[in-house]
Amino acid sequence: MSFPDEKEKEPDFSDVTSGSSSTAGAPAGETITRTYTVVAGDSLSKIAKKIYGDANRWREIWEANKDKVKNPDLIHPGQELKIPGA
Amino acid sequence: MRKPFALPALVLVGAVSLGACAKKEPPPPPPTAIPAPTAVPTPVPFKVASVDLGKSIGDDKKVKDAATTFGPKDTIYAVVSTEGVAPKATLKARWTFGAKGTLVNEEARDIAPTGPAVTEFHVAKASGWPAGKYKVEVSVDGTVAATKEFEVKK
Repeated sequence: MSFPDEKEKEPDFSDVTSGSSSTAGAPAGETITRTYTVVAGDSLSKIAKKIYGDANRWREIWEANKDKVKNPDLIHPGQELKIPGA
Repeated sequence: MRKPFALPALVLVGAVSLGACAKKEPPPPPPTAIPAPTAVPTPVPFKVASVDLGKSIGDDKKVKDAATTFGPKDTIYAVVSTEGVAPKATLKARWTFGAKGTLVNEEARDIAPTGPAVTEFHVAKASGWPAGKYKVEVSVDGTVAATKEFEVKK
């Protein structure tokens, strides 16, 4: 027997780590070439852990996205963040 | 009184002069072959040629271990082969789970390809992938170019 709430429960993908690389070069003059889309359960430190393997580097991500992330504790699923140095 | 040899001498001098005047123009140089216009290669428009899934990639970033079924602890690679040239193209991989299309991961990379290129995206989940059907959608500058489905089995 299962409860309806359990059936509806979405899997948690907030611990998914990801990466990318290319044989093609980066566009001229661009230093940030990678973006990450926030998923449910993400925080800046979780994203830093996913991307850099170091949660303490959350501030680098915040600095690169201060135009859209005013409060580092408040990010939303679907938000696209620039990932510096990756 | 004229000297008797004066007339022939005059004719001779005239003939020599005429000969000098009728000097032939130097022959024109042989026509040089006009080089055929070199064909300027038309830049191939940038496009996705293929998307391959696998469990590992080689140094050339191509899939070494192709798969469409993965285990919970596998790292899943989506290798996007592209052709053509672009000063800037944004490749995005959007990974979703199940019929509802729950977002698993989405990331994008800007590239400036000057010819055929390979771009890999990968995802892993330390706590293990839930079993089920997944999809990865690859888009170029916001337009979906290819979709691949795969499954995770316990």
